[in-house]
Amino acid sequence: MVKRWLVSSMTNGAQPLLRARGLSKYFPLESGLLASLRGAKAAVKAVESVSLDVYAGQTLAIVGESGSGKSTLGRLLLRLLQPTTGQVLYKGANIFDMSRTELRAFRRQAQIILQDPYASLNPRMRIGAIIREPLDIYGEGSKTERNKRVDALLERVGLTSGQACAYPSELSGGQRQRVGIAAALALSPQIIIADEPTSSLDVSVQAQTLNLLSELQRDFNLTYVFITHDLGVVQHFSDRVAVMYLGKIVEEATTEELFAVPQHPYTQVLFSAIPAPDPSRRVDWELPQGEPPSPLDPPSGCHFHPRCPQVMAACSSIVPKLKATAPNRRVACLLYENGENEPPSTPSVFLHRVAAASYPNRKSNPG
Amino acid sequence: MSLLSVRNLTTEFFSGGAWLEAVSDVSFDLRRGEILGLVGESGCGKSTVAYSVMRLLASNARISAGEVWLEDVNLTAADEDELQDLRGSRLAMIFQDPMTALDSLFTVGHQVIETLQEHLDLNVTEAQERALALLRQVGIPAAAERLNAYPYQFSGGMSQRIALAIAISCHPQVLIADEPTTALDVTIQAQILHLIRRLLVEEQGAGVLLITHDLGVVAQVCDRVAVMYAGKIVEFGDVGSIFSNPLHPYTQALLNSLPSQGIARGELESIQGRVPSLTDRPAGCCFHPRCSYALDLCRQESPHLRRTADGQEVACVLYD
Repeated sequence: MVKRWLVSSMTNGAQPLLRARGLSKYFPLESGLLASLRGAKAAVKAVESVSLDVYAGQTLAIVGESGSGKSTLGRLLLRLLQPTTGQVLYKGANIFDMSRTELRAFRRQAQIILQDPYASLNPRMRIGAIIREPLDIYGEGSKTERNKRVDALLERVGLTSGQACAYPSELSGGQRQRVGIAAALALSPQIIIADEPTSSLDVSVQAQTLNLLSELQRDFNLTYVFITHDLGVVQHFSDRVAVMYLGKIVEEATTEELFAVPQHPYTQVLFSAIPAPDPSRRVDWELPQGEPPSPLDPPSGCHFHPRCPQVMAACSSIVPKLKATAPNRRVACLLYENGENEPPSTPSVFLHRVAAASYPNRKSNPG
Repeated sequence: MSLLSVRNLTTEFFSGGAWLEAVSDVSFDLRRGEILGLVGESGCGKSTVAYSVMRLLASNARISAGEVWLEDVNLTAADEDELQDLRGSRLAMIFQDPMTALDSLFTVGHQVIETLQEHLDLNVTEAQERALALLRQVGIPAAAERLNAYPYQFSGGMSQRIALAIAISCHPQVLIADEPTTALDVTIQAQILHLIRRLLVEEQGAGVLLITHDLGVVAQVCDRVAVMYAGKIVEFGDVGSIFSNPLHPYTQALLNSLPSQGIARGELESIQGRVPSLTDRPAGCCFHPRCSYALDLCRQESPHLRRTADGQEVACVLYD
């Protein structure tokens, strides 16, 4: 009961700031005259009819393996890509219908942090200029005021104002990621999409960066969409999690519920493959079978069925819909079509293994 | 009986007009049938140890002291011909990027067969059969057709399987795996690590030196662990002891900074500062500027690896 209350308070208390509705992005494989003459229709369905809500002041984690479409989804949420179909509503307005002026106002409020601080910072620009660039573009205050703001931002992310004159090559990976964070913060945004922000960092530096992102969220009431494949980071950092497989969300739940009982067979397989940093909980690693299929030619029915340990006859023909199995919890799997909470056929030994692979140390978060 | 014995290995790089120590006085033994993890953050010298053992150092690097023995063979004294014979047969290596080991201009079948014929006395048919069996062993579907495919036609995970097939083709006694799964998805990582354990360690009794920064991987597959910091081994022991009873302040800090071990949304413990670069290694214990237990003594004396009562080894004055 307590848990139920906790869950509803975690979502109903907050308003959705950003909503995706039926969002799809197909990348055509061939383009140009020849392809159109041949009538080529082949396309990679990078994101397929994704609907989700991002609540104000919270962190939504999007997890999945390479090719799951999580980064494409992140770019769609900021209109850095045009969708094939669907909408993204920011405070109720569809960002794909926005005029230039409206879009300019939206871009102030929605920023991105990228994975590779080596690739995402211009090597010929000084750190100060990189952080000041958004302020320059939006004409914030006088030049002196902008430089002052740069100094304040540098200090806020744990660098020194003296480092404004340095070039990116003079900084370590962790310091560069701080520069990326400072640049994203420059215009005081409300929402930040962070695409694998700590994946290229060593664990001790990753911890510093995650701590910084937490503090900033608390201080500025920031909303995060955290795109990552690291479930340890997800568990530490996020309020809600959406699990993607081959362009689709297969499961969505509060972090607590997802880690307590992962429902979708893919989520279970994914969790069991994460190497837990505890030698007393070793997992039998024969579980995950096969490779993720090519998004060019996804399997029929449920995309996961060729690798699924609980596959049924119907799975190769019926496309499962994302359905609620509990308040604030959705799963796209035929095992849960009747709205039941537990899959009838889950072998208990399997769940035991999954439990062993997940991280039980997470303390409850009373919000 | 140790298979591979690294004794007081010191490796230097020439940079900015001076020789800088990347690996300082590193000693360890790799036993038959074990996976020994060499862990540490970027720049700690763990890959340099691997390249020193393989004698694959770049031209601006040299082994300035110490010896590496593969059973009765002194690798540090071996000439290029001897090394050529040993590499691929008794000593094999796989890399983070499988394309380091694969040639994009030749079919994978050709490359597996080439290694087999180089080191084993096989005719073409035998080599082909053995190559096919190897590809099946490492889990390449439709192996017979895939023998004629080129590396670019494989995914990252499949390429790493082929690199592994080549590495194990001549039953090496020692496999050095340098971040073999870092570029792969977790489900594929699990499969590759499982293959290494089953095919090499369990079936052939080989020793594996696994170089990784991922403590989860270490906990799941390694038998013993060496933790490196700034070119030195700071702690060495059984995987169970290292994780349940880390002695060195650096090992403790490293384990505490893992998000999965922390309390949700609470502050993660982080290590202040950064790994010192090759050019400005601090005097005394290299970790002292970042260590919360640092004493005056730590600024002057460089501690040596010492065995504690329960068999763990640690280089820290707190345990002297």
